[in-house]
Amino acid sequence: MSGSAQSARSAWSRRNLLQIGGFSTPAHAMRRPGAPQAASKGLPDLPTGGVVALNRMAFGPRPGDIAAFNALGATDSARLAAYVAQQLAPDSIPDTELEQRLNDAAFESVGVSNNPDIYLATLWDWYINDNNPTGNTDSSRPRDELTRATFLRAMYSERQLTEVLTDFWLNHFNVYINHSSFVRTTYPHLDLIIRQNQLGNFRTLLEAVTQSTAMLYYLDNYTSSNAGPNENFSRELFELHTLGSENYLGVMPQSDVPTDGEGRPIGYVDADVFESTRCFTGWSFSFGIDGDGDTGLFYYRPEWHDRFQKNVLGEFIPNDQVALKDGRDVLDALASHPGTGRHIARKLCRRLIADVPPQNVVDAAAAVFTDQWQASDQLKQVIETILLSPEFLGTWGEKVKRPFEVAASALRAAGADFTLRMNDSDTNSFLWRYDDTGQELFNWPAPNGFPDVRGAWARMTPRVMSWRLCNWLIDFDDDNGNFYLDVIGQTPGSVRSANELADFWINRILGRPMSPQDRDEIVDFMAQGINPDFDLNLQDEDTSTRLRAMVGLLLMAPDFLWR
Amino acid sequence: MTDTTRRGFITGCSAAVAAYAGTRFNTVAFGDPGSDNEDILVVVFLRGGIDGLNLVVPIAGADRGHYVDARPDIAVPVNGSNAALGLNSQFGFHSATDTWPNGTPTPPATLYDLYQDGRLSVIVAAGMHEDNRSHFDSMAFMELGTPGSLTTADGWLTRHLASASNLPPEIVMPALAVGNLQQASLRGSTEAVNMTSPDSFSLNIGPYQWRDAQRVALRNLYGKTSSWLHQAGSETLDAVDIIELNSDDDYSPANGAVYPGGSFGNHLQTLARMIKLDLGLQVATIDFGGWDTHNGQGDDGGGYFSAHVQELARGLAAFYTDLDGNGAQDYTRRLTLVVESEFGRRLVQNADRGTDHGHGNVMMVLSGNALGGVHGSWPGLANGQLFDGADLEVTTDYRRVLSEILIRRMCNNNLGEVFPGYGGYSPLGIVAGNDLPPIYGPDIFSNGFESGDTSAW
Repeated sequence: MSGSAQSARSAWSRRNLLQIGGFSTPAHAMRRPGAPQAASKGLPDLPTGGVVALNRMAFGPRPGDIAAFNALGATDSARLAAYVAQQLAPDSIPDTELEQRLNDAAFESVGVSNNPDIYLATLWDWYINDNNPTGNTDSSRPRDELTRATFLRAMYSERQLTEVLTDFWLNHFNVYINHSSFVRTTYPHLDLIIRQNQLGNFRTLLEAVTQSTAMLYYLDNYTSSNAGPNENFSRELFELHTLGSENYLGVMPQSDVPTDGEGRPIGYVDADVFESTRCFTGWSFSFGIDGDGDTGLFYYRPEWHDRFQKNVLGEFIPNDQVALKDGRDVLDALASHPGTGRHIARKLCRRLIADVPPQNVVDAAAAVFTDQWQASDQLKQVIETILLSPEFLGTWGEKVKRPFEVAASALRAAGADFTLRMNDSDTNSFLWRYDDTGQELFNWPAPNGFPDVRGAWARMTPRVMSWRLCNWLIDFDDDNGNFYLDVIGQTPGSVRSANELADFWINRILGRPMSPQDRDEIVDFMAQGINPDFDLNLQDEDTSTRLRAMVGLLLMAPDFLWR
Repeated sequence: MTDTTRRGFITGCSAAVAAYAGTRFNTVAFGDPGSDNEDILVVVFLRGGIDGLNLVVPIAGADRGHYVDARPDIAVPVNGSNAALGLNSQFGFHSATDTWPNGTPTPPATLYDLYQDGRLSVIVAAGMHEDNRSHFDSMAFMELGTPGSLTTADGWLTRHLASASNLPPEIVMPALAVGNLQQASLRGSTEAVNMTSPDSFSLNIGPYQWRDAQRVALRNLYGKTSSWLHQAGSETLDAVDIIELNSDDDYSPANGAVYPGGSFGNHLQTLARMIKLDLGLQVATIDFGGWDTHNGQGDDGGGYFSAHVQELARGLAAFYTDLDGNGAQDYTRRLTLVVESEFGRRLVQNADRGTDHGHGNVMMVLSGNALGGVHGSWPGLANGQLFDGADLEVTTDYRRVLSEILIRRMCNNNLGEVFPGYGGYSPLGIVAGNDLPPIYGPDIFSNGFESGDTSAW
């Protein structure tokens, strides 16, 4: 037995003895009411660029991903530049495994058409007008299929940044999927238009979302008319989709709002929301009234439009403009306003770097956003600015994985062979457990989307439920007893001692070493008092179960949760 | 409790929890009956902005006319089967506060019954004076207890726990946030437990023969350093220890209480269950969403809003009934439950027979120590009396209601710490209790409580 192994073993014994006696180092928590929160300390060391990139612009590394990242260049910054360039050209990345799995899953409502109008009209015809040739007409079908496809994409797509950004924009333009059968049916269309525009132009994306049936219905604009305007959509358009509440000045006359150097109001007031509401009257969709054809597509109702002049964000909007121009003028004013650039740049930096992101990166990304607001690749330039900033590679441990990231990264790291499908009890068991974590996909009721700060997700329910999910995954098997996470099968024959097993799986799950003291915990757990250099017999069920439990422990460890 | 759980508990738990367990194992109950720190404050937040004008309805005088004119379709009637139920000569309660669905048992008490018994106090035209109709800003202002500031590091309940002088040095579970996510009123709290149900709040999963060893290793992995993540993990493990130790019984509500189906009823039942464990609970929060009724809220006192009010009222009444009892078992004597929402809704209905974001709103306080009745000065609904020409004005700062509860029930008069910037408090007479002079200093913002943290709620 080597010296280090000896000390590891005795340390384990001493710890256990102390704990059984009830004298473990007291953990903080509960008990002392009102104790102030400790300052952030004990943050983890900055890992290699591959670990940072694959955990923050991807859903964690799959086996081989970090080696592939490292092969992209001589330095981390060169590798990152190459990786970002690849990821920003998603169409050039082959995605065969994902395509195979989506094909195997045989979803009827996923990928029906890349033409948004055809896709939307088809969904509407099948699940609202009940003309689906398969006979499936319940709106839960498109929702459930998109949920499964979204997991598969996060798990298996090589276009990882695309998946991260789609998740971001679906939350930025949040629509509550369980609002109604209309939304359940049309949500996949919202997903498609976001995918098609998220590396393009924000103004284009904004209009596509504004005209999407899911948004029009969720925020009530579809019936907003001259006779009865509904301000729900316009309020969130200003507060969430564009300028953000950081640029909301509350209830005051428009004429009292200070202007910037270009004579533009520095922010918005309630009157801007009301005037904007008038501009969007008549923006509706076809749902079977007044001979509209009942197609589910965007439909402008000129007789519902308020034709008189308006004033939004200091812009005069004359009476009797051509169809849709009033609303488009509002979208132009919002998309070009520097406040929108700052708001969206900050949110993107919060997603990709840190909860409280470095201001210089926010400023740089906001400047690109505003300067390039009419460029066809505006958003690609913004993302590139953020990802290639030194702060992107230089920041670690300021964010915690949310449950979707925990689940996807656990399945990726452990090399899961799991095709989620419809009518499959194993898929249902997985999703049933996943949904307990508090991040059931597309299921945030309010229009602001799931929180993206650690204060929301480091708390207890997400933590316990994520632990439970991870420790359940290592036991998860099919009807023939084959584990979806094949821990034993993926362990090379040369790896048999507790030390070797721990090191192999630490590297596999985390992509980097643990601190010596954390590693000791893993080794101790695997060794259970046996010399950690001795080979263990994985044919022995007790031992192989322990190895799976060791992987479960790694998936529950703090090091697995940092972003 | 199964042997596995007990073993997992004993090997995995921290010293403080073990100390607590010792007392539990010796069946020594927590808390000293008669001490001044046994009250429990429950905050129910109605997300989305409840239409207070249709919950507590003007039923008489000129304002009844303004109300009906503004809401030709959705006004709650004063006659017929949906007629508002009298609270006093001026206001009526939505009729759904006194109904239950067909096929469910007749409840021992409805919310309207509790009002008539004086156990429910109603405050009209309450809210914040901020000129803001954003859900998210308004919720954050209200929950942080600092209207106008979104950057406060702690929620008002966190500051209440920090500033109360009458708490024992150690409490097993001082604060509980029921639901998937922890409310902003408990932001910055390290001691709040957050869960949906004790049944699933457990690590009884994974290969059973290695669960205990995993638990020990997990505790060591999270106990090694004190980063925010390690700290949150350790707190969670402590909470799991406590809950696993205590939640082995099948729970059935007392006194024939029937909770409504759905997460609100389930969460209230979880809370009642936790209260009865006597873990020293001081504050708890529960959310109930679905109040953003821009569209089709229901005509003539019926429809969606009515069904939603029924769920709210049935939940609150069941919770109160469940906690009722005699002597030490009467938890209603220790309970003060306050219902709040980020803002009220526009007086005038919109074309979709819904209502847009407004201003002043209703608050309610349910307590064994409630004084009952309708409180607050009514500003009126005539055009010139409305906020921004459109909404019910705010005449009672919501902090005044909460301050009365803090002082009279929680014996915490450090208003300057809980609600920095608030002044001029006087009690409305909502709950019984002793009046302590409010302490408005020190100014919390000069003492480092405000940070640059811009985290969203």
